[in-house]
Amino acid sequence: MDLLDLIDAVQSAADGILFGATYALLGIGFTLIFGVMHKINLSYAAASIGAAYASLLVLAVIKAPAILVFLIAAAAGGLIGGLVYLIGFRFIPLANPLATLMSTVGLLLLIDEIIVHTTAGVPLNYPALFSDVIVRAGPFGLRGDLMFVFALGCVCMVVLLLLLYRTRLGLATRAVSQQPTASKLCGISTTQVNVLTFVITGVVGGIAGAMTGAAIGMLSPLLSLPLTVKGLIVTVIGGLGSIPGAIIAGLIVGGLENVLQYFRGVSERDLYIMLLLFAFLVFRPGGIFAMPTGRD
Amino acid sequence: MRKVSIAMAAMVAGAALAASGAASAQERTVKITGFGAKSGVVRVFGVNSEAALKAAAEEINKAGGVTLGDGSKAKFSIDFLDDRCNAEEGISVVRRIASSEAFVAVGPTCSNVAESLFGILQKKVGDASDSGLQFPIIADVAAKGGLAKISEWAFRNVPSEFEMYKSLMAWVKTQHPDLKTIYGGVEKDFAHSNATYGVMKAQAEGNGFQVLGTSEWLLNDTTFSTQVRDMKRANADIVAISAHPFTTCGVLKEMDRQGVKPKLLIGLTSSSSIETLQGCAKQAEGIIIPTSFAPVTPEATKAAEQVAKFGGSADLHSAAAYEIMFILKDVIERQKIMAKPDTVQADRNKMREGLAALKETKGLLGKVGRTADREAIKPFLYVHAKDGSWQVLHKPAT
Amino acid sequence: MDFYLGLIQIIGVHTLLGLSAYCVLLTGQVSLAQAGFFAIGAYVAGMLTVLAQWPLIPALGASAVVAGAVACAVGFPALRVKGLMLVVATVAFGEAVRLFFFNFTYQVQAGNLHLGPHGAEGFRQIRYFPQNGWSTFDVMLFIWVVVALVMAGLWWLDRSRVGTVLRAVGEDELAAQSSGINITAVKVSAMTIGGVIAGIGGGIFAHYTTHIEHAQFGVVLATFAIAYPILGGLSNVFGTLLAVIFIQGFLIEGLRFMGDWRNLLFGGLIVLAMNIRPRGLLDAGAVQALSRLFFSSKERSGA
Repeated sequence: MDLLDLIDAVQSAADGILFGATYALLGIGFTLIFGVMHKINLSYAAASIGAAYASLLVLAVIKAPAILVFLIAAAAGGLIGGLVYLIGFRFIPLANPLATLMSTVGLLLLIDEIIVHTTAGVPLNYPALFSDVIVRAGPFGLRGDLMFVFALGCVCMVVLLLLLYRTRLGLATRAVSQQPTASKLCGISTTQVNVLTFVITGVVGGIAGAMTGAAIGMLSPLLSLPLTVKGLIVTVIGGLGSIPGAIIAGLIVGGLENVLQYFRGVSERDLYIMLLLFAFLVFRPGGIFAMPTGRD
Repeated sequence: MRKVSIAMAAMVAGAALAASGAASAQERTVKITGFGAKSGVVRVFGVNSEAALKAAAEEINKAGGVTLGDGSKAKFSIDFLDDRCNAEEGISVVRRIASSEAFVAVGPTCSNVAESLFGILQKKVGDASDSGLQFPIIADVAAKGGLAKISEWAFRNVPSEFEMYKSLMAWVKTQHPDLKTIYGGVEKDFAHSNATYGVMKAQAEGNGFQVLGTSEWLLNDTTFSTQVRDMKRANADIVAISAHPFTTCGVLKEMDRQGVKPKLLIGLTSSSSIETLQGCAKQAEGIIIPTSFAPVTPEATKAAEQVAKFGGSADLHSAAAYEIMFILKDVIERQKIMAKPDTVQADRNKMREGLAALKETKGLLGKVGRTADREAIKPFLYVHAKDGSWQVLHKPAT
Repeated sequence: MDFYLGLIQIIGVHTLLGLSAYCVLLTGQVSLAQAGFFAIGAYVAGMLTVLAQWPLIPALGASAVVAGAVACAVGFPALRVKGLMLVVATVAFGEAVRLFFFNFTYQVQAGNLHLGPHGAEGFRQIRYFPQNGWSTFDVMLFIWVVVALVMAGLWWLDRSRVGTVLRAVGEDELAAQSSGINITAVKVSAMTIGGVIAGIGGGIFAHYTTHIEHAQFGVVLATFAIAYPILGGLSNVFGTLLAVIFIQGFLIEGLRFMGDWRNLLFGGLIVLAMNIRPRGLLDAGAVQALSRLFFSSKERSGA
């Protein structure tokens, strides 16, 4: 393998790691939902993409700058998150994890169909920030827009960690996740906390959807299923409930994808990722940063 | 007094009913059912096909309708069923259509549905040991190569990508003798793209181009940096991309980002649609795609307007559906199909024979030849993306 | 008539898919790998009837054995993961199987035709049924004999001690282990049985669609596989059957008259169903109510 190939391999890895920032953002949301509710929300990626689509509606009315579109995606994400809680979780008794699993599957299908019906399944252009910026470092080039996404992911992580560990809401959230009955006895409204958690993760999801759209340059209903699978993978590798874990795992998955593709081609790339994931789960089921587990 | 007026009303109503009954006895309806994907990312194909079938039916009805075997005239009515691009559902939909009085069905959209569907049809006509379904199906969109060969009841009105790319590569060679090398990109897990890339590559080599390499990706991939870097290193004169709009745009955007500017860009037939322009008009500027539809003839322009009236857009796929209605009218009249409840299987046999016997049909861009393999040889032209729309680049002489 | 027979065929095969997930769900494991075993069954049975000219039943037997063996192999590492992680691990495995078939090419020349699986293009012309003159009715009958046998087997299993043991592991693993139940044996056996059933279902699937390709066996099919038992309720096998009839018969075919709205209702009705009946359509309560309806007269006359 000569120098050119080595440079290409490193560049591929760098590209992949940077793109992994989008997976990281998605993983943060997934891991928060699981960490708090101990339930899987399979509709999360679809809702994030849906929020990004919703933000495109504003462009139909006025020629808005990209930042405004992203903010609207975040707001839409929060709204959708609240709705998801209401329709998929609120009325199903806690003792039925399978029922909420299925209801989120139903929501995934519903959101996908709504997107397909309003757009006829056609890919739509999505505005991007810094899409023309390429940071050069020797023979390597790093995409400016992806670095922005990475920076945004870090900001989200800091904000969320502050929220979880420094505010009353965060305290209530952690209390509800660890001991729901005791929290109720302390006067914490479980419903309120859950709604707020879903809204906050929805906002993160909206940002993730917007960033994914910006990184690819387009939105398509094709995205929801693969992003769901990737989000789950990232959550699990990072450790359920660990936000820093989700970020690191997202970057790892992104980088690994590209590196495997560089060496083995696209047909085998996903096969190796899946086999690696399976092996990882068997040998380190806690993930990279396993959360300290409670009674079970 | 009231009793008399009620009786009068009843008589008038009865007379009106009898009159309308007599009138409707002269005006029959022949229902043609189309089916295809109206769900998921391919929904736009189903929407367009349905609109095209309805538009063509309206044109035929306005001109008097179709003449049935007993001399009566009938109007076409169109029904369209959604198979969600799913093989099992496609089979179920066709069984549903075959359980009615229909004598033909138009579809499917997806090649994988067509594979399964044509597989359950009787392979050879008259083979009593084959319990396959005996029902003619004519496909408007499913474009993967060689599908009609599967059964003698399967017909297609889709363009021959073999002919189109053969002609395109030859034309490029004569127009641009300075271009010698070509680099390919292919959507590996989409049967249509994969198969067409094989054709593109073979035709490129057959016309003296040197294929420097191929980049591969999957249909829902989102990052193409590795593939485009390989493309950049190869530095070929021509880049040929066999992929659908989502990944084509993704690759073109990445090429823009990495500064890869080949002298010529060639694309996949299905990407000569509005989707590509909506996604990446700027980066797709100049891409050349062979297509079997463009509003260049008066019939084609009129058809495009009609289809738009029904909520669809006319492109090479929906134009095929439009043409199929006229083909069906032609066969019904030639074969004297009766379209009565007791002539169903006879009508199906006649339809099949009629379709098989066709040597030539009328297309929107000119005459369409038919092969012994039940495929179509459609006239085509090359379009290129210019200033955000598809414009005709060259119309090859047939 | 043909249409209804075809629909009943589809319901039969999907019931097998659902039952394969049902077995595994009884032990508390949510497995999204059933589509993978289904795929293995499909390719094995297809290759045997097309390339090796085997008759159908031995081919299905072979596909059951192979799928069961793979399921057994998956069952062991799956023991180490629980909950969401098992879901992801099984998704990963199912996708790995699908990707294997994406790359798998094994073609045999027969005259001027190429037969056999061809990577991304799939495996076409599995025409055992039409070639051997099976009518739609024959195929439906065959499928339902198989389904009836499988359901009877699972019903009997449920009534016996095995069923109790399975459900005990599903309800509370710690308590079951404390009672002396060998958790490993139970979970792996459940996974194996699930694999066997999925293998048979997949084998039949390959033959009645005549063309199989990797894309059909993805996450969507795997999700349908667990949707059937969850929607139907885990109390007994009829719940899964009911859910299959509900989804395939009512939601997919029955709602066709609604045109475009059908797909929107699909997701919506699933959400509604889970909200109204979280334990499934035919949960323990419903079963009791039904049995009181049918058997209460006997009790009264006996009293």
